[in-house]
Amino acid sequence: MTARPEVTHPPRSRLGRGGPFPWLLPVGLTIALFYLIPILDALRLAFTDASLLGREARFSLDAFGAMLGSPALGTVLRNTGVYVVASVTGQMALGLVIALLVVRGERHRLPGMVAVRTIVLAAWVIPGIANGVLWQMLFSEAPFGAVNSTLRLIGLPPVAWLSDPGMAMVSVILATVWQGTAYSMILLYAALRTIDETLYEAAAVDAATPLERFWFITLPELRSALLVNAILVMVMTLNTFDVVIALTGGGPGRATEVLALHTYTTVFRGFDLAGGSVLAILLLMISMLAAIGIAAALPRGEGR
Amino acid sequence: MSGTMVRGRGARIADAATYAALLPILAFFLAPILWLLSLSLRTQREVFLGAARFIPQEPTLANFTRVLTQSGFGTYLWNSVQLSTLGALGAVAIAAPAAYAFSRIRFRGRPALMMGILAVQMVSGLVVLIPLYRYMDRLGLLETHFGTMLLYISAGVPVTVWLLKIAFDAVPEVLEEAAFIDGLGRAETFVRITLPLAAPGLVSAVILNLILNWSQFLIPFIMLSRDAKWPISVAIHNFSGAATASTTQLLAAACLMSILPALIVFVVLQRLIVGALTSGAVKG
Repeated sequence: MTARPEVTHPPRSRLGRGGPFPWLLPVGLTIALFYLIPILDALRLAFTDASLLGREARFSLDAFGAMLGSPALGTVLRNTGVYVVASVTGQMALGLVIALLVVRGERHRLPGMVAVRTIVLAAWVIPGIANGVLWQMLFSEAPFGAVNSTLRLIGLPPVAWLSDPGMAMVSVILATVWQGTAYSMILLYAALRTIDETLYEAAAVDAATPLERFWFITLPELRSALLVNAILVMVMTLNTFDVVIALTGGGPGRATEVLALHTYTTVFRGFDLAGGSVLAILLLMISMLAAIGIAAALPRGEGR
Repeated sequence: MSGTMVRGRGARIADAATYAALLPILAFFLAPILWLLSLSLRTQREVFLGAARFIPQEPTLANFTRVLTQSGFGTYLWNSVQLSTLGALGAVAIAAPAAYAFSRIRFRGRPALMMGILAVQMVSGLVVLIPLYRYMDRLGLLETHFGTMLLYISAGVPVTVWLLKIAFDAVPEVLEEAAFIDGLGRAETFVRITLPLAAPGLVSAVILNLILNWSQFLIPFIMLSRDAKWPISVAIHNFSGAATASTTQLLAAACLMSILPALIVFVVLQRLIVGALTSGAVKG
């Protein structure tokens, strides 16, 4: 009995041989050097007149005025709003529908559910650039473009997928939803499988309709998962620019220029480092505010 | 199970409805990839026939050989393999000790640090890459794979810490306690007991990093301007900018080649990847 006092000790005591700091050092250094210092530096650069071409930088508030006062910013922010809200809603709604169908199929032992999951997830592993290039070929307005030549086969008129400003945004959103849905699907699929089966059995006793079961059991049970998913997908979508640059390049005109792409163009095409830093910080602030806004809706006390 | 007693015509209709709903969804997700495959196997003449020639009558692999040999895609693929692999291994090596500390050591500020890492993960590459570009320039690391790889590693570290923490949480502590009693230090226990037991989690973290690195565009696009160093993502972006109607089939072949490696790794190791994604989801 007295030979095993170790086991009853709380975890803390076993660690008497040094704190967590040596363990945290590599990650700590990485985050300091590649995230914290650059973020502070971006903040500093925003208050200068620095350009990418190495001119000596002086303190200046001009970049703020030039960027925030620019007439392009209004268009860019409106595009970003439309793009993010529509893409996130589309990805989550479609992801939820697929997850519900797959979980139902698995519960009733229907064959083919793994294949469904695999096909949807396959789109997710495709590089964003390849995704943009792929959809550019699908939406090609040449007579042999995939969608338009299919429309012609069934006797419908062609659509100006990429040259019409309104349709171009729809096209970019479609390509984004196509690629991103898998992420929402897999997270919601995992959450659906943790819902207690007896809740549905009780509902069956009460003769609840499928819609009632979805509304009064599934959705409330999924609340946390949906909100966490919304935060992650929204931040990812806000930061997306590879699909857009490859599919439309932000055009026609500025019709699909979102904030991430606008930031990139300002720095690496316009060589305006200070202006780009202002926009990058704006992007960071929008991400943070939106994430905090959604997180506020999370149920309290579920500190997992 | 809930439906066993009433499983009859109603259930069969519901099953049919499930498939009927899945069918258009599958078509939506499968059609773009099939179209890409179709284009890449066509001759230029058949490309101009559009959807009417969805199944090519004279399928050819010439597009692939031409893109690989004449357009340098062999080099781009190899650059991608190198950068993705080294970046993934580096991220896992750096993240593992911290993930272990987060999993096993109870210290003040731990929850705050973990949330901090989650917050860092949400920072757009664009925010940090502007200053990082300048540092790399001053260090003479622009145009190098070494500098690019460092950025791949740093991009992967935050999410990897979380993935590995969850993997280490799943290793029973009792096994480590036995090692402690035998007088092993914490570092030795970590290397000899925990790491081997967490091998599936480590592998899935490497794979997830590999796939994310394979898609990485912004970092190499900014760091590397000479095409001999490009990974495939930058190469197809450039290739598509120069493409014309008469090179559509070549672009399709190049695009498919940038997708296939990730797709194959994914399909073969799907169970591990889905496991890694969902473990993160359940833990929230």
